[in-house]
Amino acid sequence: MPTTYYIVLSFVLFLIGTAGVLVRRNALIALMGIELQLNGGNLAMLAFSRELGDLKGHVFAFFIIALAAAEAAVGLAILVALFRGRQTVNLDEATLLKR
Amino acid sequence: MSFDAAQLFAYTPMLILIGMGCLILLAETFAQGAARAGLAWLGIAGCAGALVAIVAGWAGAAEAQTHFQGMLVVDRMALFLDGAFVAAALLTLLFAPPYLRERGFEFGEFYAMVLFATAGMVMVVHATHLVSLLIGIETMSLAAYVLTGCWRRNLRSAEGAIKYFLMGAFATGFLVYGMALVYGTTGGELSYTGIASKVPQATKSPLFYMGEYFILVALAFKVAAVPFHMWAPDAYEGAPTPVTGFMAAGVKAAAFGAIVRLLGSAFASPLLVFDFTGWASVLAVLAALTMTLGNLAAIRQDNVKRLLAYSSISHAGYLLIGVVASGLGVASAKPAVLFYLVSYTFTTLGAFGVVAWIGNRADERLFVDDWAGLGTKRPAVALAMTIFLLSLGGVPPTGGFFGKFYLFRAAMESPQLYWLVVVGVLNSIVSIYYYLRIVVAMYFRESSRALAPTDGTSMRLGLLLTAIAVVLLGVFPGTLVEWAGSLALK
Repeated sequence: MPTTYYIVLSFVLFLIGTAGVLVRRNALIALMGIELQLNGGNLAMLAFSRELGDLKGHVFAFFIIALAAAEAAVGLAILVALFRGRQTVNLDEATLLKR
Repeated sequence: MSFDAAQLFAYTPMLILIGMGCLILLAETFAQGAARAGLAWLGIAGCAGALVAIVAGWAGAAEAQTHFQGMLVVDRMALFLDGAFVAAALLTLLFAPPYLRERGFEFGEFYAMVLFATAGMVMVVHATHLVSLLIGIETMSLAAYVLTGCWRRNLRSAEGAIKYFLMGAFATGFLVYGMALVYGTTGGELSYTGIASKVPQATKSPLFYMGEYFILVALAFKVAAVPFHMWAPDAYEGAPTPVTGFMAAGVKAAAFGAIVRLLGSAFASPLLVFDFTGWASVLAVLAALTMTLGNLAAIRQDNVKRLLAYSSISHAGYLLIGVVASGLGVASAKPAVLFYLVSYTFTTLGAFGVVAWIGNRADERLFVDDWAGLGTKRPAVALAMTIFLLSLGGVPPTGGFFGKFYLFRAAMESPQLYWLVVVGVLNSIVSIYYYLRIVVAMYFRESSRALAPTDGTSMRLGLLLTAIAVVLLGVFPGTLVEWAGSLALK
């Protein structure tokens, strides 16, 4: 299959992730959106890497996977702290900090 | 391809910071009661060690040396900024312990995270490869998210952290996708020099421009440039105050270091800088928006912490002027940016240090009215705060004045930027209004409310050091500028 298909798919993944962060008000869903964004980047990296016959992109993908895991760990920890305090992870209800 | 361990010695400052951070994590498990106070001093010792290592490496860095197959570079610009980051970490470790103790969350992890974040910042400005840039930015950011949310029982801290985290991770998504596009369109290049050499072919594909701008958007998030700033006021207000100072100074300076390096090498080709779609004009517009909106929002604030948060947004705008001037070929712009970053780092840390000093667990005293009468009750602290506010506003004889002076003078060398300089000068005049509001409250209004500040010896030491640094930068700016100039010309 041509590389273009993969790039298009990766961009669709990225857009779905972006929309998820911007539109959904549940922090958990937003976190999933961020994972989708990163995986979109991953897929594009791998598709390019395969087309170019260059291994650097594959190695980069490993770094991104590790990074996504670290980010999820920190993000979920913050989410737990938020939930303990106010029994909700809805971002619209997080309004203590306003002008 | 080989791994030469000897190359690691060039990165001793980073290794010291990471090593000391791990040591603090280990010591934390054994430290009981009063011994916990020693953990902060371990961190301070680590920072001092890193500073010594930076000074020791200075002479050998006259010529830029790349290591690890072009992943990292040691040059004087990087070491100069390293010094600023480590100084920021050291001052944070002076401000934090009394603050944390008063509010009952003094954990060793806090100090370790400050050191890890600093190690990330160091990596960011040494990076000459997209992989090392990404790892540096994430090391710095992940530690900063944790620091923002580390006051777990405080709802504002958790709320600031989740907003900071979501927007920061969102920006990382853009960064990663942009890097993938640049990688693909340059034919498999990830190092800055490799990308620069492939720009002529790569610009045939619109995907390259998309990748370039995705990376710039991500960095604009990190420096909180308008319109990517919406997380900053909430994160800065929610975070424990010493952390706010550390974020506003260190994280922002590191992101600017990355921008200067990336735009100065990988994306320095005239094909990318000029025209209507070039990054110079895009960043010029962003600079004007950032200064203006940051200042307009700050005017309306009564909360000092939030006011300083918006002011730090507007300072990112001034710095962007220097970045644009540097892209347009003004040689004196880069030293001006470096000088501004150093003076801004000390000033911001000091200002947030006073905010951390004044409140206590029950009463944070964050509003301008709460500062009434400070001038008569605690003249020394009020004087320090006045120095910081004047420096933020760009009034002589402070570092902030010369920061703005050098920056605007550099921008004036490029006729395309006259309008931007006018916007910048108008903005600094407007900004003096809201800085002086706090000064007026401190000196010309009385309050019968008793003052019960957090205080602490290390806090006083930190305030003294920052105030001296800000004044020295204002009295003898030439020395540092020459220094910065000699290293940026390389």
